[in-house]
Amino acid sequence: MGLWHYLVVAAILFGIGLVGFLSRRNLITMFLCAEMMLQGVAINFAAFGRYHGSLSGQAFVLFIVAVAACEAGIALALILMLYRRARSLDASDWQSLREVGVPPTVDAEPLPAAPFERADPRLPPAGREPEKAQEAAHV
Amino acid sequence: MSQIVAPLVGIRGLLEKNCTIAMTVFAYHPQPSDNVHLVLAAGLAAAGCFLLLPRPRGRSVAGGVAALIIAAAVAGLWTHHAFGEPGANWIEKALFILFSAGAVGFGIVLVVQRNPARGAIAFAFVILSTCGLFLLLAAPFLMAATIIIYAGAIVVTFLFVLMLSAASGPSDENDRSREPLLGSFAGFAFTGLILFTLNQAHEPNAPPPSPNANEVDRLPPFPLLTPDEQQSLRAAADAMQQLEEDAFYAVPNALSREQRTIRTNRIEALLEDAIGLNSAKYEGRTQYGSIHARLAGHRMDRRADDVLRQVEAVRRNGVRTMKTVDDAIDEPTRVRPASAVAAVRQLREEVTLLANTGELPARNTANLGYLLYSEHLLDIELAGTLLLVATIGAIAIAHRKNPEKAVAL
Repeated sequence: MGLWHYLVVAAILFGIGLVGFLSRRNLITMFLCAEMMLQGVAINFAAFGRYHGSLSGQAFVLFIVAVAACEAGIALALILMLYRRARSLDASDWQSLREVGVPPTVDAEPLPAAPFERADPRLPPAGREPEKAQEAAHV
Repeated sequence: MSQIVAPLVGIRGLLEKNCTIAMTVFAYHPQPSDNVHLVLAAGLAAAGCFLLLPRPRGRSVAGGVAALIIAAAVAGLWTHHAFGEPGANWIEKALFILFSAGAVGFGIVLVVQRNPARGAIAFAFVILSTCGLFLLLAAPFLMAATIIIYAGAIVVTFLFVLMLSAASGPSDENDRSREPLLGSFAGFAFTGLILFTLNQAHEPNAPPPSPNANEVDRLPPFPLLTPDEQQSLRAAADAMQQLEEDAFYAVPNALSREQRTIRTNRIEALLEDAIGLNSAKYEGRTQYGSIHARLAGHRMDRRADDVLRQVEAVRRNGVRTMKTVDDAIDEPTRVRPASAVAAVRQLREEVTLLANTGELPARNTANLGYLLYSEHLLDIELAGTLLLVATIGAIAIAHRKNPEKAVAL
């Protein structure tokens, strides 16, 4: 029963989540990365609980799950409001909120053009509309 | 910065470079205190993440994946060197490697994936792998709860992705990163520091990893409970369960009074051996039983002290409960059967917790529930309040105000 291996995995998960949170710009992806960091911490608690033969670690993880649920609710509500205002999920749209003296982020390189999509084919009008067959009996 | 990045961009050059580095690594046999592996793994992982993070130009999938795989191999090597084998038998090892690789791999996919919907799927797999690790850590209830809760959370996130990012084609939020180089180096430098600290903390306790090092590491040098004591405590708990089911005359003509007395005497005899219940009840003697006799000299050890306090509590409660039970058997009109059953149930739970000292109980859900409602009741209420406040907050934030009313105000 190795405690240390679980701590290593938890640290790596936390670090990966940190990278994603720091460098991604999609608000939803940032939210998922924060959740992943919480998972790393949860593994830590469960591993320490197992190591000490105590259930308190697992109780702690339950509270983490509760806090994560609260965080999900609030974060998604905030994301929804931000999207309503900016019509985009880009976190850099809100860089006017940055500290005084911090240079603004400027996207120098243009985005690659969207792949050309062929429009749906349309049938050309050809000749007169044929007469429809009338029903014989009108009841 | 471009001088650092330039040699990494070309795929061929990167692969050759990594191969030479990898060969040097595998030919090199470091000392336990040598952390070259760790630095190398962190640097390679950061470089791989940097190459994979979405950007309009300069994203190199093959190079990034190669760097990450080599980083994972080096990190695994370092972990094996520093902490030994991950489990006692090969099944545990295989499951641990499977789940941890799944968690880390899908975590990387979540971070570098451009499409947020695919990112959400990768996150679902991260959660599943984490649940596997919970199962290995003897936490089946946590596994089930996490799956249920996060399944809901992921579905909701999915809905948000579908609602909010319907635009097709490249977009600022999905195809650009904010400082990918600094971000990946910061994250992996942090991870490397944590791992370095873990290694530092590990070294003094555990000299070279031997097969049983982790087992020895886990337990104090003396047994908290001997197998005999555990056995008699568990037998007493089982006998108490029978007593509860008998329900003290609630069911008519179940047992005679003598049979009931024999049962309670058996429980007392079983508990007497371990915690000295009988002598406390009948003779008022301060003979505490074998657990106390063995652990009294180890009060400095936190776990031994915990066990001693638990024994004391069980002993006090046991004397009271057994008197109630005797009264309920002798004079069923005076003591209500329900209160006797409740007292026996509480004693049984305490004895069960005591019997399972030093290891996580097999009945994870029952014991976790008992712990939550006995020791952490206030915390539960606080968590519930937090959820309520979060719900109100979410509604308050996302509520669309009536524009006409806003103008009128």
